[in-house]
Amino acid sequence: MSSARALFASTLVVSLALSQGPPSNGPAAADLRYHALRGAAVVVKPGQRIENATLVIKDGRVVSCSAGAAPPDGARVHDCTGLTIYPGLIEPFLAIDVPAPDADAPNVHWHPSVLSQRDPLAADGASKQDRELLRSLGFCAAAIAPIGGNFKGTGAVVLLDEPTTGHKAQVVRAESYHLCSLSMRFGSHPSSEMGAISLVRQVLADANWFASSEAVLTADRSASGQRPSANAALAMLSSRRTLPLMFDCDDELQILRAARIAAEFDRPMVAIGSGMEFRRAQAIALAKVPVIVPVHFPEAPDVATIGKQQRVSLRQLQTWEQAPTNLRRLLDEGVKVALTTARLQDKKDFRTNLADALAFDIDRDQALAALTTTPAEILGCAQDLGTLENGRIANLVVVDGDLFDPKARIDAVFVAGNRHEIEAKKAKGLDGTWTLTVQLDPKVEVALAIDNGAIKATIGDRNPKVTNAAVTNERVEFAITDEALGTGATWVRARTSTDASLTGTAHAATGTYAAAAVRSKPAGDEQKGGKSDKDAPEEPTETGEKKDDAADRPVIAPLATPLGGYGVLAQPPARDVVLQNATLWTSGEQGTIPLGALWVKAGRIAYAGPREGLPPDASKAETIDATGKHITPGVIDCHSHTGISRGVNEGGEAVTAEVRVQDVVDPDDVNWYRQLAGGVTAVNQLHGSANAIGGQSNTVKLRWGSSHPDAMWFHGSVPGIKFALGENPRGANGGGNGRYPSTRMGVEALIRDRFLVAQDYARRVASYEALPPRDRARTLPPRRDLELEAIAEILAGKRRVHCHSYRQDEIFMLCAMAKEFGFRIGTFQHVLEGYKVAEAIREQAIGASAFSDWWGYKFEVYDAIPDNGAILREVGVCVSFNSDSNEHARRLNTEAGKAVKYGGVPPAEALKFVTINPAIQLGIDAQVGSLERGKDADFAIWSDDPLSYAAVCESTWVDGAERFSLARDRELRATIKIDRERLLRKALAAGGKKGKTAKNDERDAYWAAEDLTASYCCRDCEGVR
Amino acid sequence: MNAPCTTVVTLVAILAATATLAPRASAQDLLPKGAPEARAVVLQNAIVHTMDRGTLIGGTVWFQDGILRAVLSPGEKLKLPDGTEALWIDATQKHIYPGLIAAHSQLGLIEVGAVRQTVDTDELNDQSPEAIARTAFNPDSAAIPVTRTNGVLVACVFPIGGELPGRASVMQLDGWTNADMTVLGEAGVVVDWPALPDPISRRGRNLRRQGPPGLPGAALVTAAGDDRDPEAAVKKERQRLDETFARAKNWHEQKASDANTPPDLQAQALGAALRGERPVFVLADDLEEIESALSWTQSRSLRTVLVGGRDALLCIELLRERDVPVILTGVHKLPARDDGDYDTAFALPAQLAAHGIRFCIATGEEFAHERNLPYHAATAAAFGLDRERAMAAITRDAADILGVGDKLGTLTVGKQATLLVTDGNPLDLTTKVERAWIGGREVDLRNKQTELAKKYRQKYAQLPPAK
Repeated sequence: MSSARALFASTLVVSLALSQGPPSNGPAAADLRYHALRGAAVVVKPGQRIENATLVIKDGRVVSCSAGAAPPDGARVHDCTGLTIYPGLIEPFLAIDVPAPDADAPNVHWHPSVLSQRDPLAADGASKQDRELLRSLGFCAAAIAPIGGNFKGTGAVVLLDEPTTGHKAQVVRAESYHLCSLSMRFGSHPSSEMGAISLVRQVLADANWFASSEAVLTADRSASGQRPSANAALAMLSSRRTLPLMFDCDDELQILRAARIAAEFDRPMVAIGSGMEFRRAQAIALAKVPVIVPVHFPEAPDVATIGKQQRVSLRQLQTWEQAPTNLRRLLDEGVKVALTTARLQDKKDFRTNLADALAFDIDRDQALAALTTTPAEILGCAQDLGTLENGRIANLVVVDGDLFDPKARIDAVFVAGNRHEIEAKKAKGLDGTWTLTVQLDPKVEVALAIDNGAIKATIGDRNPKVTNAAVTNERVEFAITDEALGTGATWVRARTSTDASLTGTAHAATGTYAAAAVRSKPAGDEQKGGKSDKDAPEEPTETGEKKDDAADRPVIAPLATPLGGYGVLAQPPARDVVLQNATLWTSGEQGTIPLGALWVKAGRIAYAGPREGLPPDASKAETIDATGKHITPGVIDCHSHTGISRGVNEGGEAVTAEVRVQDVVDPDDVNWYRQLAGGVTAVNQLHGSANAIGGQSNTVKLRWGSSHPDAMWFHGSVPGIKFALGENPRGANGGGNGRYPSTRMGVEALIRDRFLVAQDYARRVASYEALPPRDRARTLPPRRDLELEAIAEILAGKRRVHCHSYRQDEIFMLCAMAKEFGFRIGTFQHVLEGYKVAEAIREQAIGASAFSDWWGYKFEVYDAIPDNGAILREVGVCVSFNSDSNEHARRLNTEAGKAVKYGGVPPAEALKFVTINPAIQLGIDAQVGSLERGKDADFAIWSDDPLSYAAVCESTWVDGAERFSLARDRELRATIKIDRERLLRKALAAGGKKGKTAKNDERDAYWAAEDLTASYCCRDCEGVR
Repeated sequence: MNAPCTTVVTLVAILAATATLAPRASAQDLLPKGAPEARAVVLQNAIVHTMDRGTLIGGTVWFQDGILRAVLSPGEKLKLPDGTEALWIDATQKHIYPGLIAAHSQLGLIEVGAVRQTVDTDELNDQSPEAIARTAFNPDSAAIPVTRTNGVLVACVFPIGGELPGRASVMQLDGWTNADMTVLGEAGVVVDWPALPDPISRRGRNLRRQGPPGLPGAALVTAAGDDRDPEAAVKKERQRLDETFARAKNWHEQKASDANTPPDLQAQALGAALRGERPVFVLADDLEEIESALSWTQSRSLRTVLVGGRDALLCIELLRERDVPVILTGVHKLPARDDGDYDTAFALPAQLAAHGIRFCIATGEEFAHERNLPYHAATAAAFGLDRERAMAAITRDAADILGVGDKLGTLTVGKQATLLVTDGNPLDLTTKVERAWIGGREVDLRNKQTELAKKYRQKYAQLPPAK
């Protein structure tokens, strides 16, 4: 860190004083920035407006502003009568190219995406084009920041002035924020969003370590322990703790994810939004994250043909329709909002798009604040920017009318007192239609149409040839050839006498004659005043469009969560209800009860048993007759990849224990709803199997419609982690790309290595923590390593391994290793040759979680047998059947039925394969998995024997609330039909601009596809050739 | 006359003996094939599901030389010709069904999905009508007995890949050679109708899965290899396909008038389809695909069977008007669209039935999981399809659509004796297939997996009991 830069950061220097510049080349011009703007209405700040004000600025700062005051002597007076002056707008995010530091430099971070030290002031700054463009929109200052990487560098607030000699960027604040993102790099690390989050988390932890090491070393240069090596990125992050992390977010869920990390490290945070925040406005408000909102709206989906209509989802249509409501919805929820021109394909659309957003009855003061005071506050420049109070930098926008009317002319902006004309008041040109009378005998009348220097003439029904036309604002000359004027050309010269008349002469072959012209205006044009004739013809269409817009504008009504056909407006309530006379498959000690009663109260099971035993208290509850129905505990899927945003594998490294699936729960995945329709109430979300030691798994409840993704987490579940053995971590079926390991021997060695290193790590951490406080102050702390921390948790029995495995030798290997390292494995997943080593699994693992009858897709599953589950159970292993597929997940009840078919497992025991057994494996059996008093009321109601294909799931409950029912599903289908119909018509009317659809949904769809095509993520792509 | 039980017991004993001699856990099917049966076989007092004239409770089935000779109601008396040596089997309480037919499969062409060397589905060129499935059908594939165990006794095997992958063959799942197993070698020409990648799954059905997976978008390369302008690529592929048929037609015309016309194997391969003797099996799912595909087959006067048919409901009138039958490739499928009813695929068969469309049900699951065929039909039944019709969709209707209705699909005199004896309805998961005959030869219902289960149960019998 250069000392010059540190100075900027600490003193908020505004480098305006000329004395700082180089010696002038010749006589020096005086800096005469002393202006008085008189007669305008001045909006000093949102909510404070002074009519007929005199605004005085000097030396680049506001000196005074008061109504009717006389301009001070010496000030240059500008007559601004009829104009409105606003504080200059602030662009909080202007991306610029800044070269990355040399990868071989001694103080760079090892990861090429960690570039926190990158200084936007070290590069060219905002381009001239950007400066001009932003000024033309009323912006006077912008935070420039580098692009690329996860930690991209700092944001610097600069004035959008034109540089003078020696003053390139006029800096308001050299360091305003740390720009970050959760972006990924294909074919590299991080290759998934969860990988990116883990990287961000580790870097922030490293920054903390850097700071605490620094503190120890400051106190005692000879402190013992491992010293951090020089690292510019970490130094920047550790020394500038109060600067907000500015997360550039691709979608609304990323905002919530970034907010969680920022909170974890007690860092202030701001999000740069995608424009789709309205889909989760409430959760964003609760996270208390200020959002920098773009006014970029998706174009209407192309729905020109029925085929194309089929390819558009209701969610896409709704997103398209609702995008302009984004700002309004965020403001309604109380989110702190600043606006940005970022993400617009063409920044010139900013004012028009903003007007579309403001059309939803948004208070103009709120809008102005979002462009001035709020960004100033976010950027830490509120003392210098954002208002026209005395002492602020004299950034102002002078508007002929309302700033928020996109048609209103921006006259000029002042940047630190320097005036930049934007659009001068248009002189009344000669464009328009005229009637020219030439005093020949008889008089000749010529109709002239003057348009931007071109002249068309009409005499009677003739269009005579006009040449040599020369038109200025004051005069017109041309040659015209027409029989009425005589032979040859007649030269006409005329100049304005009044606004509406011209006088001059016509030199015809026969002599010179007086000529005069008057404007022939369409009726009513006069009233419009101020508008040039050129604008006039467009006006009726515009008003017409405006009216249509208003009619088409969506009403601000609550939106379903998630947006799309099956979302909910509010979470369903937990009910107090008794389900009578159904067959209860308890998966508990009571077995199967033919005529049972299930009493659900406050989200828990208050009674489950024979109907005769129902406690009298239950009589107050609502009663549902479930005669002929079957009720089972909610189905639990022990191997799922549903609802994991952007990448199921972090394949960028061989060991990714630091990666957490819980960071990327996608509550929008419609498969949650579909799985509820199959009786599923909880799943184990697993990392893919590309890594011998993969990421941490996450258990969720299917609380469909949760406003925050984390609300789906199953609290109290035992933490898990994915391991993988065999072909996939070897990269045997493609995707190997030279990464260790490439044999089962290497897989063993890699896991052993990590276990040993994690043991050593845990020992070092423990010995540091055991130090008495005095010694600790003189000892450098061990670096927190999130990967080793997770692996050490396995060895300490706090984290369960869920191990992708097929062949008996690899299963046996991990059992032996677990024994050696003294921990119990959670589950073997797939474990298709588990039947060959069932006794080893029984001894060393909590359970085995398999497919019912899947096989043949690759060589290591060639010996898979459908009796696997039954044999494992016979030997004493706790067995579950899982889906590993969005489709199979909906039919796990019949997958369990296959344990009856193959191997003769008794039906009630077979059902346990998808209820209590996976609950035991995931450590949630105290809460769910059986119908027993005190457990969570998570259950499903079936039309028939749940193990048979005749069974249809009729209703599914989570936490005592009904989340799916056939009746509700029918209603939703009807609503979807109506909504789609309406929106398709609307999109058709909008012209269905070709080829473009809601940007975010394109991306969503891309990622959905990515999950399917990437290898080793689920059974649907296992062994894909 | 009734002495069947002893026969059954004997048979089981023989099979058990064979098993002990067989090497364990091999990659190949080591079971003996069904032995020819010289005797008449008579299944008595059974619940006979004829699939064409209802269920005969207490009925009798007689077959000999591989052909059904009599299917009788309880009232009817069986008269065997004098001197006939017969095997009488008491099937009281048992059900008899025609063998189940997997109508769209890669069984026998793939041994291990991920091992390229064991996959014989996809010839190099995008157009390879000369390829015919029966040629590469491996009679000893371990997947065949696995499939058979659950009553699936016949499969129509489709080559895949490119827009003209080859010709499909109807194979019966027992025999020493693939010649023995061929029911109809040339069932029809497969056309994988060129289409855009599916909007939701982004998986074009006819995309070639080339190169290692894992790179984003890698699978989106269309058969024409052009992923930059997929619409243009699709158009090009369709033109190329039509050109091939035009050329073949021309070749046959020339050949008819000039015997010295040079050979053209591809044109020759399309002959039966061009003459209308065999259908084209057109793979199409999306509405636009189906409409354009049917319009093309109409323009070339090709007999058409639609394979896939996901959006069939959206073009019911077209299907009815052209009388196009549909092979539904899987009931256990997700809706293709986010807004789709969760049970779109589950309920489709019932809806097609209600609209009078001819269809049969396949699994859509390549090769290893054909044993689940009855459960696809069962799910269709749970979602509104009549159970009898659901059984027909995996027997009679499949046979008819595949062009083998004269030999298979129902228990009708004169058809092949390819049938099952079960303890219940095959749509029910716990139903066990107890015996089965293919072309009159009783087949071994064990498989590699049943034997591995036995082997490892022995292992645990040897271990001391758990603490």
